[in-house]
Amino acid sequence: MRSFEMKNKKAGVLAIFMCVMLITIGLSGCTQEQPQNGEKPEIKNPTTIVRYDIGDAKTLDPADAYDTGSSEPIFQIYDTLVTYKGNDTKTFYPCLATEWSVSNDSLTWNFKLRQNVKFSNGNAFTAEDVEYSFDRVLIMDAPESGVSWILAQCMDTNSTTVINDYEVEIKLTEPYGGFLALLPYTVAAIVDKDYVEDHGGVVAGEENEWMKLNPMGTGPYMLDHWTRATEIVLNRNPNYWGGWEGKHPEKVVIKYADEPATRILALKNGDADFTYIPYANLEDIQGEEHIVVHPFDSYDINMVVINTKASNNQYLADGEVRKALSYAFDYETAIDTAWNGYASRYAGAIPNGMPYFDTQNNGVPFYNYDLAMAEQILDAAGYTKSYEFDDVFYRFNGTTIRIFYNAGNSEREMMAMMFRSALDEIGILSSIIAEGWPQLLHRMYTTDDWDLMFIGWGPDYNDPDDYIFPFIASADVNGDTYNTGYKNETVDEKLLEGKYSADPVVRAAAYKTAYDIYIQEPPFIFIQQRQYIRPWRDWVQNYSYNPVREWYFYDYYKAYE
Amino acid sequence: MKTWEFIVRRLLLLIPVILGVTIITFTVSHVIPADPARAFAGGPKAQPEVIERITKELHLDEPIWIQYFYYLNDIIHFNFGKSYLESRPVSDSLAQYFPATLELTIFAMVIAIPLGIVGGIISAIRRNKLSDHITRIIAIIGYSLPIFWLALMLQYVFAYQIPILPLEGRLAIAMNAPSTITGLYVMDSILTGNLTTLGSSLYHLILPSFTLGFATLALILRMTRSSMLEVMGMDYIRTGRAKGLSERTIIYKHALRNALIPTITVTGLAFGGLLGGAVLTETIFNWPGMGRFAAEAVLGFDFNAVMGFTILVAIIYVVANLIVDVLYAVIDPRVRLGGG
Repeated sequence: MRSFEMKNKKAGVLAIFMCVMLITIGLSGCTQEQPQNGEKPEIKNPTTIVRYDIGDAKTLDPADAYDTGSSEPIFQIYDTLVTYKGNDTKTFYPCLATEWSVSNDSLTWNFKLRQNVKFSNGNAFTAEDVEYSFDRVLIMDAPESGVSWILAQCMDTNSTTVINDYEVEIKLTEPYGGFLALLPYTVAAIVDKDYVEDHGGVVAGEENEWMKLNPMGTGPYMLDHWTRATEIVLNRNPNYWGGWEGKHPEKVVIKYADEPATRILALKNGDADFTYIPYANLEDIQGEEHIVVHPFDSYDINMVVINTKASNNQYLADGEVRKALSYAFDYETAIDTAWNGYASRYAGAIPNGMPYFDTQNNGVPFYNYDLAMAEQILDAAGYTKSYEFDDVFYRFNGTTIRIFYNAGNSEREMMAMMFRSALDEIGILSSIIAEGWPQLLHRMYTTDDWDLMFIGWGPDYNDPDDYIFPFIASADVNGDTYNTGYKNETVDEKLLEGKYSADPVVRAAAYKTAYDIYIQEPPFIFIQQRQYIRPWRDWVQNYSYNPVREWYFYDYYKAYE
Repeated sequence: MKTWEFIVRRLLLLIPVILGVTIITFTVSHVIPADPARAFAGGPKAQPEVIERITKELHLDEPIWIQYFYYLNDIIHFNFGKSYLESRPVSDSLAQYFPATLELTIFAMVIAIPLGIVGGIISAIRRNKLSDHITRIIAIIGYSLPIFWLALMLQYVFAYQIPILPLEGRLAIAMNAPSTITGLYVMDSILTGNLTTLGSSLYHLILPSFTLGFATLALILRMTRSSMLEVMGMDYIRTGRAKGLSERTIIYKHALRNALIPTITVTGLAFGGLLGGAVLTETIFNWPGMGRFAAEAVLGFDFNAVMGFTILVAIIYVVANLIVDVLYAVIDPRVRLGGG
């Protein structure tokens, strides 16, 4: 009996093994049917563009939206007076305004408006809507996001005047050089006055709950539904003034998925036409058939902020020390390691491609990785290796430079580690500290208990004032967004000159002078300018990237060409 | 003690439990120096007026114990505050995400409970036979496999390689959700007579609920097996056989009822645990539930959302334990009569 039972057991194990093998062989044979050579897969959802990304919108009200998750659908639903087209960031194109002019003193702008335009609810667009839209932003004062500062820096509620149904005049409070550049941003989107008045109107300091969830614009699309943390679906606006002749998607779906593996599979199986894939995962789809991976230069930058008034480190107040630190950073290795090569160097506070970027050493980075030069500068400034610790000699009397970055950011972690190694080589003690984002902000803005911090910045609008003023201008003139404590009166004067002039010659000269001064005592280490990559299916046509208005689905279509 | 007295007493215990939970969570989340107001207002681009407004709204400029009392006062009035990450009331977020997790959990249990119990019974009555070995292998695989691995593999095989099931989400891309009555898409589709969304929601539940249910299935299977083995060895079972009762009657009428008691305990606790949100499953299958929401709230220092989620989960656990205890009384008369 025992032998019979043993035989039974062995037969059972063998049976299980055979079943598993058969199932495995069966499954491996039943794979997704791949098109034969030369054949292309059938286009999924041919009249719908689907984009997978992270980060849900917070609001669909342009008067209070200040995050990319919100801006993206708003750009499809609403129009602005002027806009960009395709990847062109140098030209302003007519949108709801067909022509414009400015007075000699750069204070008064006149816009002729497009006629026969309707909002998606059928209401006619007129100059009153323009006046109402701008005044609404200023009165509401963006209680959630604070985005109203973009208009408030040069406008008030007396600025906009209706001349007639299709003409407005805007009198600026200051001759702001970047005024035209800020108009394409979502904060300047035009809303339907009657629609807003019927749904809560404008209350100073309060958000409009209706407008947050029920957008109504003149743009090519209108909202079908917004399921939080899931998707925003847009249908075509039949009243769109640009018309629907030619090739345009009927529907746009912006889906949110946190897991990169899910987004990658969605792109591979064609559920997604575009998706966001982290740099570290791009190799998973490089070379995949029918998927395009193409980097574009963005305006997103990374840098190291230097606290010139650090309570722990008096040495950072010295511009020569900051110069030496700029030579001690290995920029190219950082780009290759932390960003997988998907980044490029930039010269100063104005990123490459933005107007006036070439006033910064002709756009060529001023500092390169040169440890010998860093040591030479420090020695010449009197910061010699005189402090002995563990048989090794260090500078700055053994003071440790603390390098902060926000926990979870793997790129900054890698760069911090590399920088620490380099500092060690030139005799500077350093340590790396990761903290949560709110903790870092608390540290930066309420204490001087930090030395260096990795940080990033992205564009609000396509004007250098959006970058150079917050970074380099001092707190005395409402700059110094990163609380570095840097101040140079000549630089402040020049940056104010560049801010409040519409004359390109004046602005270029001002920014060049400012750069030539601050780059010699830099309050930042300008590391890299990121490339923007959103891999897409090769059946998508006419896609182009604009660093200011990233997506404009109306221009794309799906076909094999 | 009568059953209703028992239930009322247990529900009243909810109050000190929630108080304790809020004190601990509030202290831990607020004690580290941080600037959530500036983070919510946009970080370096934050405007001073917005920072000031959020600071005042959250009472961040007050001592921590004052902040806590403001918070308690809001809770008593069912105001969980605002989620700054989502820019809407926390209660709205929970009202959307909890039904999503509840639906997923229910279907995970629909898979786990019957299969687990039946598997456990078969395993016990055919001890050391082939069917016992197979069920034990399934159980070992179930609680050994990392859930994220299982989720990714199922996605890869059944949504990509052999594309017979959807990749992610609760509904097909761009499909409108059914009108909200319960928040459970299957239930709401039935109640509104929407067959299209009913089909889509059921279809989308298959992979995530199997993933979530598999580990629970393993747990229930093992628990049922060992309970059954213990009960089947008792004198009264031997007596029943001696009296000539059929094996079916012995198993299902006499043995199973006693064997289910520990199984109910683990099932109830597992259900409560899953309702707290299965972060990994929800993240991989892009299921907009509590787990995913809680993870984002913690990482984003969204204090109000973290507190709201914690309170809800505490209530869930207390109620789940209560239901388990009541079920004991239903199944075991000794508990009802106070003798067990």
